[in-house]
Amino acid sequence: MASPTPTELDPSSELDAVADRGPLLSRESQTLRFLLSNEFGLIVLIAIFAGVFSLFTPGFTSPFNQFTLGRTMAIDIMIGFSMMVVIVTGGLNLSVGAIGVCAAIGFGWLVETLGLPLPMALLGALALGATLGTVNGILIVRSGLHSFIITLATMSIFFGVMVFLTHAEAFRIIPPEMSAFGKMRILSYVSPLLLISIAVGVLLTCLYRLTPLGREMLAAGAKAAAAELSGVRIGRTFVICHSLSGVLAAIAATMVVARNGAAIPSMAGGLGQDWLLPAVLGPVLGGTLLTGGRVSVFGTFLGSAFVTTLTNGLLQFRVGEFWLQTWLGGLLLLAVLIDLARRRYLARGGRRMA
Amino acid sequence: MRRSDIVAKAAIAVLGMAALSLPAIAAESTKVALVPGGPHPYFAAWEKAGQDAMKDFKLGAADYRIPQKWELSQQNELLESLLSQGYNAFLVFPGDPVGSNSTVAELTENGAPVIATAGCLKEPTTALFCLGTDTGNSAYLGTKELIKAMGGKGRIAHFSGFLVDPNTQLRIDAVEKAAKETNGAVKVVQVITDIDAPEPAEEKINAYLAAHANEVDGIITTAWIPAVVASNALRKIGDKRIQMVGIDHDEVVLKAIKDGFVHGTMLQNPYGQGYIGSFALDKIRSGCKVKPDAPFKTIALTNRFIDSGTVFAGKDAVDNYVASMQAITKEIFANFASTYLSCP
Repeated sequence: MASPTPTELDPSSELDAVADRGPLLSRESQTLRFLLSNEFGLIVLIAIFAGVFSLFTPGFTSPFNQFTLGRTMAIDIMIGFSMMVVIVTGGLNLSVGAIGVCAAIGFGWLVETLGLPLPMALLGALALGATLGTVNGILIVRSGLHSFIITLATMSIFFGVMVFLTHAEAFRIIPPEMSAFGKMRILSYVSPLLLISIAVGVLLTCLYRLTPLGREMLAAGAKAAAAELSGVRIGRTFVICHSLSGVLAAIAATMVVARNGAAIPSMAGGLGQDWLLPAVLGPVLGGTLLTGGRVSVFGTFLGSAFVTTLTNGLLQFRVGEFWLQTWLGGLLLLAVLIDLARRRYLARGGRRMA
Repeated sequence: MRRSDIVAKAAIAVLGMAALSLPAIAAESTKVALVPGGPHPYFAAWEKAGQDAMKDFKLGAADYRIPQKWELSQQNELLESLLSQGYNAFLVFPGDPVGSNSTVAELTENGAPVIATAGCLKEPTTALFCLGTDTGNSAYLGTKELIKAMGGKGRIAHFSGFLVDPNTQLRIDAVEKAAKETNGAVKVVQVITDIDAPEPAEEKINAYLAAHANEVDGIITTAWIPAVVASNALRKIGDKRIQMVGIDHDEVVLKAIKDGFVHGTMLQNPYGQGYIGSFALDKIRSGCKVKPDAPFKTIALTNRFIDSGTVFAGKDAVDNYVASMQAITKEIFANFASTYLSCP
């Protein structure tokens, strides 16, 4: 990965400050900065836990488990992305799950009831996701209320309208090639859904690093007033972020449809709330600031991958079902503490070097 | 020795080893996973059923494994994980009658037979068959008992389970059917669903009875927790005017029947489902096939349904409910293999 742009760094962090010496960075400092990054920490943690799971649970490395782990991971990563693009603005999108369910049901309706070909139906689902995201964005910008309030309300509205229109009926006549795609294995181990998540991650990285729009999003999230003075149209940028969130939620939803072979109203729980935890965990663990202005696409990818790997490993360990959440919470806490200790140790080394 | 000879000998050795290992694979013992849709007291009997089946049929394992939440994705992940752990036969309560089909297909494609248990999958499915309570029939019979207790007329409130549970709609339709047969003498005035969990059940049932207890003459509950909560509510109200027929065998419901606050309960047979289902999976793994012309029942979701039994227990039968369900299990088990399976 290329080094982050200045807007991606958290100036309040003492540890980052040690690493951030601007253009005067020596090779050692650059190495130290990478070693201090969230991304490196997550890579180490994933490697440690994957190693432990591989050693002590025979099923963890089996082709089928690696395939299903990758498939679940792909969906969680995409859900994380759909929240991340809004967190960039300092906001939240609580309706990611509801938008996802609406897009999935919309897709089912387009293929089953209207008989549209698969590509058209997929585009229709993404367009529906974008539309619902745009509605969120416009309401937030026009009302001036925090996105938390607006998306909390639209979560119920979107889901309620969907249940009213469909009577909670599933659409199960999904094109067979879609279901086959959800089950496809590349070299026995890899789900193609994971490749989609990687591709989307690369596109998002390009958006934030290479395009004026991406930089405007980061600037608007970091300090809206300053960005406005620099000519950034804050309202328009926020609406685009929410539209993008809707599209990404719709992509995640179509991945779930491919996985389940059906479009099911309950696929993300009541009001789509089951998506909220993976939506927030990935970006936050990955280093995206909740206050906005800083994003780490790779970090979100790794954060989601880390949580999915932990959950999968704990299932393999046959941790008692009712202890699973406790263990997951405990291991997450342990992981954060290990990471903090690593950063402190390296930061002390960095200060000595400086 | 020429290189081609070495290759040929190596190939023969590998094939020989593969051939020797085949019987070992075929003889791999049956490891059954009994997986409900989420935590729920109804399924608690599956644990004992699995243990008994393991002992009686010499299975490698018959473990009760519960998804930590009622979420389709959680159940899917658990099932996938169990397959990776070496379980090779599954009794599954489908988290969704449509959405679980994909995971069930993956299990069967990997050589693990599946029986949809306590709830059915919507056809077409790769599950062998569905073994469960004929929930529609149970709700229908329970409502008939309730109507009888109400003197053939009055107003009924129906408290049921999760809408995503494949059985809920069947139960709603069955209660409605029994009421309609009275030619308007009995009306279902309220159906409350999605309350098969303590918090929503307490909130909605108590609120409803606080406001409308005087307007109903009978209560039918077709899910475990609503039955418990409604039994407690009637005890608190203390008025035995309202008749109630519950479901399942929670101690609260049974005590309320003994004390006269509840008319009776419709017993199901979760133990029999787990025990007979584990037996059937082992038979299938040892070469038996499901008879194509077996006398399956047809219900809304599937045409391969086996009723695991249901019976009404009123005040006089409540003390012997275990014996009556064991008797049903014994009866079904006695003819199960000859009725539904063809074995070499």
